[in-house]
Amino acid sequence: MAQSEKQRSVLRINLDILNAVRDEGDAKPTHILYKANLSHERLVRYLDDLTEKGLIEVKQDGENRTYNLTTKGVSFLIEMRRAESFVQGFGLAI
Amino acid sequence: MASGALISFTLDILCAVVALLTSYYAYRVNRLVTNQVVGAISLGFMLLGIGLAVDASTTLFSGKTLVESFSDRILVLFASFTYLTVQMVAYLVIAIGYASAAYGSRPKAAAPAVLAGAAAVGLYRFSLLSYFVALILLAFIVFQGLLLHSGQSNRFSATVLLAFGLILVAHVVLLASVLTLGPLLFLTGTGIQFLGFLSLLIFVVRSEVVGPK
Repeated sequence: MAQSEKQRSVLRINLDILNAVRDEGDAKPTHILYKANLSHERLVRYLDDLTEKGLIEVKQDGENRTYNLTTKGVSFLIEMRRAESFVQGFGLAI
Repeated sequence: MASGALISFTLDILCAVVALLTSYYAYRVNRLVTNQVVGAISLGFMLLGIGLAVDASTTLFSGKTLVESFSDRILVLFASFTYLTVQMVAYLVIAIGYASAAYGSRPKAAAPAVLAGAAAVGLYRFSLLSYFVALILLAFIVFQGLLLHSGQSNRFSATVLLAFGLILVAHVVLLASVLTLGPLLFLTGTGIQFLGFLSLLIFVVRSEVVGPK
């Protein structure tokens, strides 16, 4: 069964969010929401969790809230990219 | 030490290093993604690495390859028996991992059945059985690998399939060498097996040097 047909794992969702934040740089929640394909409620929950883990940081400018990857977040994404390549080699997906 | 034994020792020890390296990377990846198949790959390659190291040590100390030592001392027989058993269990673990990914269940009865069938026979018969079982398991792994790859093939999956394919061919040759007691055929099989592990090493290195998208 293809990955798109299955329910995404929590790890996959977190990776999609982190990739969206990295691609955007000063990423707005609406952009992350669109790229990670999540509801607003779920996105807030995931963003809070990733912030708590120190993988992303929040920048508050008046009413605007943007997100950036932390150094830990960048390292985590590189590690996950390696892990994904390894897993894909055996015909699997994260 | 005869040149055949020296070649066999060198190739086995290199294969053992690659198998243990693959096991370590799979273990590291499994800590991140917690996947049943990756766990099986880690355990399977660890067993395979240990088995190959045992076989290499036996060849080093006896100065003979496995095929040449069928009528040899008890220690060599025991070491060869250990290697063949560990190898069979290793491929079984990987095959079970792939089966669980493909069918969502674990064929739990398979391991004891294979070991029970292998018990209490001479080394020659046991090695025949072991190579045959390893051959069946490898064919199963390659088949399951192909099924999983057909869904999402990429530049890494071809290298892993090639590796398992070469190890499968190697076991055909190794089985033939045990049947005919041919030392040259045995070395050819060991050489092909080494090429399989070399492909695996290329895959591990390539997946490790990959950067961010």
